Amino acid sequence: MLGRSTEIWIAVIFLILGVVAAALWVPFDSETPPIYTFRRQTYIGDAMLPMVAGAGIAICAATHLILSLLRRRDDKDAPFDRLTGLFFLVFLGIVAASFMLMFWSGPAALALFGPTGDEPVTYRQMRSTAPWKYVGFVIGGFVMVFGITSLIEGKFSARRALTSILAVAVLILIFDVPFDTILLPPNGDF
Amino acid sequence: MSVFEYVLAGVLAVIAGPAAFDILGIGVPITVLMVFGGFVIGIVGGATPGLAGPFLMAVSLPILLSIFGFTPDALLPVLGFLVGVMKGATVGGAVPAILFNTPGTPDAMLTTFDGYPLAKKGQAGKALRTAHFASVSGDTFSDLVLFTCAPFLAIVVEAYLGFGEKAALILLSLAFVAAVIGASPMKGMIAAFLGLFIAAIGTGEDSYSRLSFGTEALASGVPLITAVLGVLILGEVLYAFEQMWRDRRSDEVTETQQEGDQRLTWKERRKLFPFIGVSAVVGTGIGALPGIGSTLAATLGYATGERMHKGPVPFGRGTPEGVAATEAANSSVSGANLIPVLSLGIPGNVGAVFLILAAESIGGFNPGPSVFRFSTSEINPELIIAFGLFTTMMLANIMNWIIGGRIMAVVGIMARVPKQVLLPIVLLLTLTAIYVQEMNFNAFYFAFAFAILGYLMRKLRIPTLPFVIAFILAGNLEQAFRQAFAVAGGDPFFLFKSPLSLFFLLLSVAVIIFFSRPKKPAANKAIEAERDA
Repeated sequence: MLGRSTEIWIAVIFLILGVVAAALWVPFDSETPPIYTFRRQTYIGDAMLPMVAGAGIAICAATHLILSLLRRRDDKDAPFDRLTGLFFLVFLGIVAASFMLMFWSGPAALALFGPTGDEPVTYRQMRSTAPWKYVGFVIGGFVMVFGITSLIEGKFSARRALTSILAVAVLILIFDVPFDTILLPPNGDF
Repeated sequence: MSVFEYVLAGVLAVIAGPAAFDILGIGVPITVLMVFGGFVIGIVGGATPGLAGPFLMAVSLPILLSIFGFTPDALLPVLGFLVGVMKGATVGGAVPAILFNTPGTPDAMLTTFDGYPLAKKGQAGKALRTAHFASVSGDTFSDLVLFTCAPFLAIVVEAYLGFGEKAALILLSLAFVAAVIGASPMKGMIAAFLGLFIAAIGTGEDSYSRLSFGTEALASGVPLITAVLGVLILGEVLYAFEQMWRDRRSDEVTETQQEGDQRLTWKERRKLFPFIGVSAVVGTGIGALPGIGSTLAATLGYATGERMHKGPVPFGRGTPEGVAATEAANSSVSGANLIPVLSLGIPGNVGAVFLILAAESIGGFNPGPSVFRFSTSEINPELIIAFGLFTTMMLANIMNWIIGGRIMAVVGIMARVPKQVLLPIVLLLTLTAIYVQEMNFNAFYFAFAFAILGYLMRKLRIPTLPFVIAFILAGNLEQAFRQAFAVAGGDPFFLFKSPLSLFFLLLSVAVIIFFSRPKKPAANKAIEAERDA
């Protein structure tokens, strides 16, 4: 168990979420109520399951709140601190950059270095053609693996860069080389 | 078809099924090949700290679905691979625990108690052989119990339980899983209800997709595999990233020169039998209950073995009996864990979750009591698949007996792969596996949303397994509710009409109250870790 105050916060948050879900979200965002009558037959409506689930969350959270309030006070550490925020700031930055590079590198590379002619070649036409189909995955994948490894280790190293490239290459060998029907990310979106 | 003919058809579906390729004119069945592939990958993955059976199963599933598609022919190769992974990872997990004192999972921590001291004495080979022998014995015993118990239990459930009772039984199972996992049953219940709620998004019987805010993104519901992989795997990866970032140290591994006779003689094996036997029974009994992990089985097996032991070297100082008691207990959980899956349709552990996911994704096989309909007038294809599944389990056991030990001996090197390098690769691998399934970049955003949910649940000590199980069972539960309500003629008290369903509901409440009592400190760190996970 976490510290008493953290457990109280968890209970309060879930209590609010459960009440809002069961009393507001479900009734206003479902076509049929929990129980309804149609042509003299009574049915369970679409609102039943989520309403029961929302009410269940609220009841369990309320019970947890009471149990937590009855607990002795303690001074256990909070689960989140400044370091958590800092870590996720950098981590999500790396992930966002890798997603962006993964999505746009292929089309950008094609636009810059692709074949030229009267008919412009679209990325959709080239999404299954090497090397264009690998550009986004290799660059985005490398940034993700190398970036996160370097973040955890707190340093950049050529060895880890090589490992990251190798890892991406192995994934291409697993997912792309043996199968004609599978498209690596982001090629399915084009 | 008679019972024997069903069993035979199941066996033949595996060993005489479609061939992957020919060797000297003899076809190699694809399912056998997949079991073998899964088994080898399972041992390698199990021997790699930071990876484990569920990780490998999770990542493999979307790849397998992309390769084999969604036809009934895909069922046995895909399930066979997953079974192979499950069994391989069970034995592989002992390798880093024995060689490097690095438990990859909480239950492997108990293997380090005697395995690592044995390795330090220069007896690593003997310890590995002991672990393999005990593990595969326990696993085989557990599978035999599964093969005999699951069909009978399923037949009883199908014969005596109506819609209302089945709905109440699902509620009881959810309450049990929520109550026994983690430190607080209430948090387990919150997780289970949250799983039900999220599963309700974008589903239902009306033309309007409920809880979708009228958006297209939510109207088709939450993608099942993406959500499960996000919460179970990516959430764990994010959690591990943060921990490693905080620790910022890589554990150095040291090796001891191995010496002396590393073989495990028949005389030594005979001495291990009582420990393996008792632990296998303990592990199988624990494993048959949904939600209870292999750590408790390993702990009980170890404690029982310690009481039985009268040898010169006490438990904890490097005795093969300690390794055998632990490994037999935690390995015998895996087969028995499938009893609730096959007899009730309720996944009791993470491995079973992926088997259910595979079956649900492919279609044509719905694990549950209806599978074991021994109809004579017409063929029940699900029953053939069930016996095919049993055959793949036995095949994996045979492979384990024959070559498992040899593979274990060479995969020790995997413990040297640094976690901080491996887990970012696992992240990219999982995302790629999700993408090849969904073919849409939005799947990444969904996966990350669920990864953050999984991370938050771990940080706040809210167990993830009740969430996942409720998420998977939500459709069945709602269906059972609707049917029971209709059969009862719209009676709002339909769940309380039958004595049996009333009993199940009261038992659910009793289970929650029982496990809500203040807990004593756990006997060992492994149990404490699993309780807090």
